[in-house]
This record gives sequence, C-alpha cells and structure tokens, in this order.
Amino acid sequence: MPFLAPLALAGLAFIPLIVAFYLLRLRRTERTVSSTYLWQQLVRDLEANAPWQRLRRSLLLILQLLLVAVLVLAAARPFLERTAGLARDLVLVVDASASMGATDVFPDRLSAAKRAAIEALAGLPADGRVSIVAAGETARVVANEVTDRGRAADAIEGIRLSNASGDLGDALKLAGALAARARGAEVLVVTDDASRHVPEVRLAVPIRVLTVGRERRNQAIVALAVQTGAGGVKRSLFVSVANLDTQAATRRLQVLADGAPFTARDLFLDPLTRTEVVIDELPQGTAIVEARLTAVDGAAGPTGPADQLAADDAAWAIVPSDRLQRILLVGPGNVYLQNALSLLPNVELYGVSGADYAKTTGLEKFDLVVFDGFLPPTLPDKPILAIAPPRSSALGTVTGTLTGPYIATPAPDEPLLHDVDLTRLHVATAQRLELPAWARTVIPGPKQVPLLYVGAREGLPTAVLAFDLHQSDLPLQIAWPILVANLSGELLGRDASTLHPIAPGAPVELLLPPGSAGMRVSAPDGSATELVPGATGASTVTFVGTGQLGVYRAEPIPAAPEPLPSGATPSPAPSPSPSPSGSEAAAAVGPVRFAVDLFDPEESNIASGDGARLAALGGPPAAGGQAGIARDEWWIPIALLALLLLLAEWLVYERDGARRIVGALRSAATLRPFRRGRA
Amino acid sequence: MSDPRAEPTAAEAPARHDLLPAAVDPTVFDEAFLRQLERLMLVTRKAVRGGMKGVRRSAKRGVSVEFADYRNYTIGDDLRTLDWNIYARLEKLFVKLFIEEEDVTVHILLDASGSMGLGAPDKLLFGKRAAAALAYVGLASYDRISIAVLQGRVARRYPAVRGTGRIFQVLADLSSVKAAPGPTDLAACARHYAAQLTQRGPLILISDLFDANAERAISELAGTRCEVAVLHTLSPDELDPPLEGDLRLLDTESGSGVDITADLATMDAYRARLTAWQAGLDAVATKRRAAYVPVPTTLPLADLVFAELRRRRVVA
Repeated sequence: MPFLAPLALAGLAFIPLIVAFYLLRLRRTERTVSSTYLWQQLVRDLEANAPWQRLRRSLLLILQLLLVAVLVLAAARPFLERTAGLARDLVLVVDASASMGATDVFPDRLSAAKRAAIEALAGLPADGRVSIVAAGETARVVANEVTDRGRAADAIEGIRLSNASGDLGDALKLAGALAARARGAEVLVVTDDASRHVPEVRLAVPIRVLTVGRERRNQAIVALAVQTGAGGVKRSLFVSVANLDTQAATRRLQVLADGAPFTARDLFLDPLTRTEVVIDELPQGTAIVEARLTAVDGAAGPTGPADQLAADDAAWAIVPSDRLQRILLVGPGNVYLQNALSLLPNVELYGVSGADYAKTTGLEKFDLVVFDGFLPPTLPDKPILAIAPPRSSALGTVTGTLTGPYIATPAPDEPLLHDVDLTRLHVATAQRLELPAWARTVIPGPKQVPLLYVGAREGLPTAVLAFDLHQSDLPLQIAWPILVANLSGELLGRDASTLHPIAPGAPVELLLPPGSAGMRVSAPDGSATELVPGATGASTVTFVGTGQLGVYRAEPIPAAPEPLPSGATPSPAPSPSPSPSGSEAAAAVGPVRFAVDLFDPEESNIASGDGARLAALGGPPAAGGQAGIARDEWWIPIALLALLLLLAEWLVYERDGARRIVGALRSAATLRPFRRGRA
Repeated sequence: MSDPRAEPTAAEAPARHDLLPAAVDPTVFDEAFLRQLERLMLVTRKAVRGGMKGVRRSAKRGVSVEFADYRNYTIGDDLRTLDWNIYARLEKLFVKLFIEEEDVTVHILLDASGSMGLGAPDKLLFGKRAAAALAYVGLASYDRISIAVLQGRVARRYPAVRGTGRIFQVLADLSSVKAAPGPTDLAACARHYAAQLTQRGPLILISDLFDANAERAISELAGTRCEVAVLHTLSPDELDPPLEGDLRLLDTESGSGVDITADLATMDAYRARLTAWQAGLDAVATKRRAAYVPVPTTLPLADLVFAELRRRRVVA
C-alpha cells in the first residue's frame, strides 16, 4: 500500500520507546535464592521470550502499541489508486441561486449540491486542481486552483444560498476563463437547472452537469404593489400569486399592515397560472405591507403542505407617504407639464410666471420647483427640475443649441427610464449643455451631450431637461407621464414609495440629505451597515448588501457639529441660504425604507432540468487526454480505528471503575422491578 | 584393645548432651534411631587397604579366620600358619593365607557454601543431619570417619575419628559448620580434598551442587577411586519455586541478579531445566561409577538412611 507521507512511518520509532518505558516502569520484586545457576541457564531463553510474554500478558501495552502503529499509519496517509473520472484541471460551478433553496431534497437543494460536489471531487486525479465558482447573485470565485481536497470542501461548504435570481451565464463565462488557463480542463456545474433561460455563452471546454432536485411544488408571490387612488387617499394592494406547479393548489394569502394581520384570503390556484388579487382600502397610516402565502389548515381540496421554496412566499411593499407634496411650476405655462405633474399622487401643483417668481413668498413650503424655460438669478434651496434652461447657471453651462439631436443609447439600468420607451422620441432643438460634475446622464444625445441629467446639486436633487417640450414629441408619448413620475420620485426626496421593488443583490443608491455624514442601513435581520460617501461633496451613497429579503431602513447619520479636519469624512457643501444646521437638517429628514423582493417567476419555477442544455454549451473533450490517477485515502477508517483503540485502552486502564459502573447499573436494574412491586 | 562398640562411659554421658549441637534436633538421634543405625554399614564393593583392624575385608592378607589361599613355605614364615594336613598328604609345606579385616576411611564431604544455608527446610541443616547419621553408621562399623567441609576453594578437614564414642565430637564438629558467605568453587574444593586423601573408602558428598563445575567436582572425587555417593540436596522451593510475577532473583553467594518473569511458561522451563540438570549429573555419576541420590530436604532422615540409601546400595 503506498503512502502519501511515508516519512510519518518514522513514528514507528515510538513503539520501542513505549516498550522501553514499559520495561523501565517495571518494578521487580527482589527475591534472594540459594543460587541463580539454573536461572542463568534459562536467562537467554527468558530474555528472548520475556518481552513477548509481557506483551502477551499486558493487554494495555498491546493496545498502546497498536494505537501508536495505527496513528502512524494514519499519519502516513495510505491510499489506493484508481482511474480518475475528472480532468486534472476542474472548474466547479455551484449554483447558489434562490431556487436552490427548495426543500424537495433534504435538507435543501444547495446542501445536496454541496454534497454532490464534494463527492464528485473524489474523481479528481491525485495532482488535480479545482477552482470553485459560486453562482449566486453574482459569480464569485471562492477557491482558485486548490489542490487540497479539504480546502476545496471547506470552500464548497462556505457557499451560502443567495436570494437573488441566479445567472449561470456569468458563472459559466468566469468558469470558461478559469478553464482556459490549463489545457484539458473541464467545467462541472452542480445546479438544479430550473431556469428556462439558456445562458448565451459558449465554452471551449467540456461541461458536465450534476443536477439536484426532483419536484416543482411551489407557489410564489410574483408581484406586490400599493396603488393610490385618483384622490390620493384610497390605497389598494395589488398581489399576483403564481402557481408554478403542475397541480392545482389552495393557499392562504395573508396580508399584514405594519406587522399586524389585516386580511387573509384562500386562493385556489390552477396549475401553471397566475392569480391577481386586489385588496382595497389599506388602513390609513400604513407604512409597510407584507404578504404571505401559507398552507390552508383544514381546507378541503389539494391543499398540501407548504410549498418547497420559502423565499417567494413572502413579499413586502412600501406604502407611499400620505404627506401632501407641493410643486411650484415657474414658466409661461405648459399644459403637458401641468397635466403630467397634476397626475402625480399626493401632489399639489402651483404655478407662477417667471416675472412673478421674484414676488413669490413661502418658497420654503414647496418640495419641488420646476423652471420651464426660465431661470431666476438666484436658485432656491429646493429640488429643481429645469426644462430648457435659457442660460448657464449652477444647474449647468449652456454652450449652444442642438438641432435635431438624436437619442443615444441610455444606460440599461437607469432607474429613471424604467418602463420609459424612448425609441420614438424626436427632438427638434435642444440646449447644448455640459454635464456638471454632480450629475449623471439619463438621456444622452449626440456625442454624449446630455439631453436629460439628474444629480444632487449641493445635496439638493436636481434634474435638467435640455429641450423644450414643445420642441419634441415627448409629451405626446406614453413615456412622458412615466418619465415625470420617475423624475418626481427622484426629485421629491426619493421616497421609498417611489422606488420599485428591489431585486436581491441589486445596489441601491441612497441620497444623502443635507447635513448628513452618511447613511445607516438596517437590514431585515437587524444588522446595520454604515455608509459614508467615498469623496468630498458626494451626494449619494450606494448600498449593495441587499441579499436579504424584506424591508430595509436607511437613516441619515448626522454630521458632527464641530468642523472636521481636512481628510475626514466629507460633509455636504454649505448652503448659500440660511438654513438649519447640518446635523439638525439631517435629523429632520425621516428614515427611508425600501423593500427587497424576489418577484422572479423564472426563479420561483423550481422544476429541475436534466442539465443537457447546459452541457450542450460546452466544447468537446480535449483530444488525446489521458485519464489521471485518483487516490482514495484510508486515513479516516484508520483514524476511527485509532479512536476505538483509544477507547479500549481507556476501558482497560479504567476497568475497575468500568466494572463498578456496570455493577451499579446491574444493581439498579435489579432494584427497579422491586420498587415497582412495592408500589 | 577395647571394644569399639562399647557404650560410652557414665562420665561421658553428661557430655553427650552438652556436645549435642543445638542445630541438630536431639529427638532425631534418639536411642532407637541410633540402634537402627548401628545395624547398617556403608557398602564398599572393593576391598581396600585399611589402617587399623576392623571388620571389613582388606586387600591385605592377614590373620583373620577367613581362609584366603595357600602359598609355598619360605624360610622365615610363621610355622603356625603351616597346613600340616597338606604336608601329611603331599609331604610339601604350604602356608595358609587368611583375609585381613581392616577398617576403611569413610569420607563425608559437606558442602557449606552460601547456597546451602537457604531453603526450607535448611539444606545445610539437613546435610548436617545426614552427615551425622552416616558418620554414626560408619563409627558403628568401626570405620574411620573423615569429615570435610567444602567452602570457598578449599576442603577443610576435621580430624578423622573412629569409634561410636566419637559421635559427639562429630556432632560438635558439624554443629560448628556455618554457611560461608561468598562464592564456593566446588571443583576446586574437591580437587583440594582429593589431594589430601590417603586412604580410599566410601566418599559421600552432600551438596546442592549449585555450581557450574559440579560435574567436574564429581569427576575429581571419582578419580580418587573412592566409592563416591552424591547426596544431591535440594529444598522444595528449589524443586518447585513458589515464584510469581516480575522478579529479580539474587544469588546468595555472588549477589548477582537475574531478571525473570515467573509465569507458567517460565516455571515449566525451569522445571524442565532442573530435570535435565539432575539427569546430567546422574549420567556423569553413573559414568564415573558413583551413586547419585537426589534428596529433597523434606525427606525424613530415617527414610533417607533406611530406604533411599539402602535402595541405592550406599548402605546395607
């Protein structure tokens, strides 16, 4: 039997050491005899046989010697060789998306996938290397070219379930890049293959797929939204529940308002269908709505137990604030703008011409000032939406006029363009503006000249639209009211009510209120994260720890009252107008809440596939590749044997005590029926 | 010449008990036992020359009543020895020769090495008693008794005595024998005694023979042409040692130690070795025409003398 660490066999030298200790430990009784003549004649035989006779007599010593031998054997790491089933260089991709939390296999798919992955590593050649990619909300390398199976197993065990939708495409790309470093590498994917979406990636290396999962019993809340009626007072809850199973099911929908049960409905869900539920008249003052899907107790029909994926059985929504917000529209009058702004919920719209703006009092009562083709000499300390600014100002520098600018491709993840279709937008003329440092481009024009940009100007949300609405067909399109709604959400303090549900793992940009040094974000489990801006004068911080499902709470961290030395945490730029101190202003701003929900029918569909589609993305096996040699080490059973020997040695050493214990147990066993008899 | 079998005088009687060694149990040598001993005689298979008149056939021709042979008369012969009947018939003078009866010297060699001082019962004490009994047998047979104690490398001889009246001296001599500390070379002692030996006769060696040169000692003694009898005295704890466990055995003579683990196998090996050793000694003794008598110290003295030694033709 070969050994991985043959030098450890030198530990066998402990055996004669133990024997020597044993012999030295021997206390001989001296006995005077008339002559040792005959004994001396026997002494050679005695010397030759006495140690072994003692060994035969001393079970304790024999156990100790066996224990040393077994421990040394285990340390030498004996192994058996066999043909390896995997390539020498392996990239292991473990799917950790939300669907891997399904419990159709015990205890869940991810745990089964980990077990399968660790068992698969046994097929790695002796000199094999494995890189491990965890495919959660993002593809992440958790081990890179590891040769130690123990470290690889630890890395696999360290993979945690993500509540995000998994995208194996990124993980496969990463795995392909890792596999490209070595010749003859292969990719092993452990997944439930539940996604119907086939990643758009092709790898040059072969892909093997290990699938986990058997069933698809799952019902999910795939949408939850709070809608405000036209009057701005009535709020209704919209819930969409999908039955992704091939059998009908009855589930109970519970709705909680601020944690208190509000209503519950039993839903009969046809297979593979979605059921929409509208619940009117949420209680006044409700801030958070939670919807839960539970099993129906005692109901007739195919209720069954709770489904096999818990992540999509709960959803949260933030109720828009009831506070009435005032918008001041300054300009010559624009019916498109007036209509769009008046349609916003909880908004009171006021209008004033540019000439009368200087006479306007009570500007502090407005939450947003819209300048349409007009700019005052002094900008108010309020969020501003400027449309076609006529001149350069703190809002931006006007360098000229654009004629017939085309619309460039905007950023795909721009939140302000959510559900906004700009493909049919045409603009006749627009102001040529330079993008200020505090802003980001929302609608780009030719040569990256912005047509719409937003940002936090001295901590104040500001948006600038470069063209007059009359110089485009934007007001005539469906995108216009949606864009105004999105802009109002950004400019009116970016209240949680304006935010869409956030997908797990997605970053959240939080606006820093004036006078705040940062934001403290509390996760649903109570853990808090403090965010400070990365640069002086930054107006936003980005929170990326949205891995948990639930409601997050973000509070501004008041700035220190004393002036901070240079290089310390940046503070907002001082306001030119009289205003409350920074810390007071930050304290005056309430917390911001946002909800993180799965809302992914694709991920909620836990019907596992056979992995053939993923395997087809790989290339052919490397030509001329030779199967490696895998090693099966034997140290585990040997170590168990050592433990048994240790236990036996302890029992022999403490045999008197063990006998007493056994005797006490026997006596107790004999006393028990006697007590019963007396009773 | 006084009768050697004469009883001690009344004046000697008190001294008999005074001289009786305390180490020798007086009850062992009671009157009945002594009477029985007087009926025995140490066997000598060959006629040897003696020193004084006795009751044993001597190699010499003498004046006893037992006819031995005739020879021609030569001038100077005692005319009283002429066989006149032969002269009457043959008219030739023949002289009648008679067998001479002399005493023999009985050599009793007692090993008084350190090893003899141990055992239960004491081997040296047992040896003293056996020596005393055999000495009394010899004294009662008008033999000369020569006792020697083997210690160190020498044989310390006591003056030879003759006549039963000297038994007390023998007992006194024996009672003074103590086990000697230090090693004893049995072969050297035997060689030393053989060098001093002038008169052949029965030679009885009483020893435990715990010596690597024990066989050479027997050969040395047999080389004196005495009729050697070896009383191999061993105590019961030497025949079957009551040992158990891990022991360091200390030699009482040399002080050297031997580490053993006394288990069944070891004891079996010891007993086998003891049997082989005794068989080897017996073989050597037989080869040298000596009698080898293994004697456990638990054997009663009467059984030794009247049974064991008679069976071995040491006494008759």
